[in-house]
Amino acid sequence: MSNSKLYKGSLTTIILKLLNEHDKMYGYEITQKVKALTKGELKITEGALYPALHKLEAEGLLDVEVAKVDNRLRKYYKLTETGTKETVNKLEELAEYIKTMQALVNPKLA
Amino acid sequence: MKLTKQEIQFIDHYLIKNEVKYWDVRLELLDHIVSAVETKISNDGISFNEALLEVHRGFGNQFVEFGVSKDKIFEKGLYQSNIGFKKFIKQKQKEIGRKHRKTYWKTFLPFISSIRFFIELLVLTIVTLIAYQYSIKVGLFVAMSGIIITEFTKLFYGGLKKFKTKSLNMQLAISSSLLLTQMPYWLIMLFNWHYEGLEMKPYYILFILFALLFVFSRHSLNNFIKIYNTYNERYQLLTT
Repeated sequence: MSNSKLYKGSLTTIILKLLNEHDKMYGYEITQKVKALTKGELKITEGALYPALHKLEAEGLLDVEVAKVDNRLRKYYKLTETGTKETVNKLEELAEYIKTMQALVNPKLA
Repeated sequence: MKLTKQEIQFIDHYLIKNEVKYWDVRLELLDHIVSAVETKISNDGISFNEALLEVHRGFGNQFVEFGVSKDKIFEKGLYQSNIGFKKFIKQKQKEIGRKHRKTYWKTFLPFISSIRFFIELLVLTIVTLIAYQYSIKVGLFVAMSGIIITEFTKLFYGGLKKFKTKSLNMQLAISSSLLLTQMPYWLIMLFNWHYEGLEMKPYYILFILFALLFVFSRHSLNNFIKIYNTYNERYQLLTT
């Protein structure tokens, strides 16, 4: 997905976090938002984004809304109630992971 | 820069040529590709052809440029490999299947405990019992018809028009129907084989099995109707 494999495990959390901050987003918009927020450091490829989105949808964490935009259909993703709860858990897990890594890599800062 | 109607149509045809035949899969790819091409043209100052080729590769479709003349790169590059799209469809198929199964079991108990279903099952039981008075065969035929009618309704609506046959979601929603339609026949065959030579066969076993099969089949129809309505609505939106 990106320049580093380190981000791979956090893709789901990144998507959930973005959707938590925005009412609804479409696939391409997510890739562009991540690129802008990380100043181009993290580039989510299509081959990684859509499997993650479809998986989250199948798990019931995301809901889909379809609207006509510029003469074509656009699929918007938004969090379900379960998705909102899961976002909190995932973010906590990620924070914990960062803290642990910090302790391992740079014990002085931890 | 916004793409023209012709350019969008070109992308749609390019996707069809790359075997993305389901419209409900294509709509998401089309929107992504159009948005990405528009951004690349505006931000990177490249041509439509170059931008489309870049996006095509971004989906994991490999392209070996070696031996391809420069003027043929666009044409060859777009159609040399569709491995990325194939993976996309395969993965989506897997997740749709998961989603359908999850919804099925999540809504199973509320459905079978609904008054509507109770009345349907009651009516079928009464009609079967009346038919049973004539003969066991007629009784079994009536019990079987509950399942057959339910599954044929799915197959009929699922394969009636182009939008349904060319939709991955609809295809997966009716995928179990052929199996369920034949199930009563197989059960009778198995029953006859197992109790061959017995004078008084325990036919109540078949009635119980048919009743169970009807429960699963009827709930499957309920879920199918929901999927049908969703994709019918989306198709109307697409074509208007």
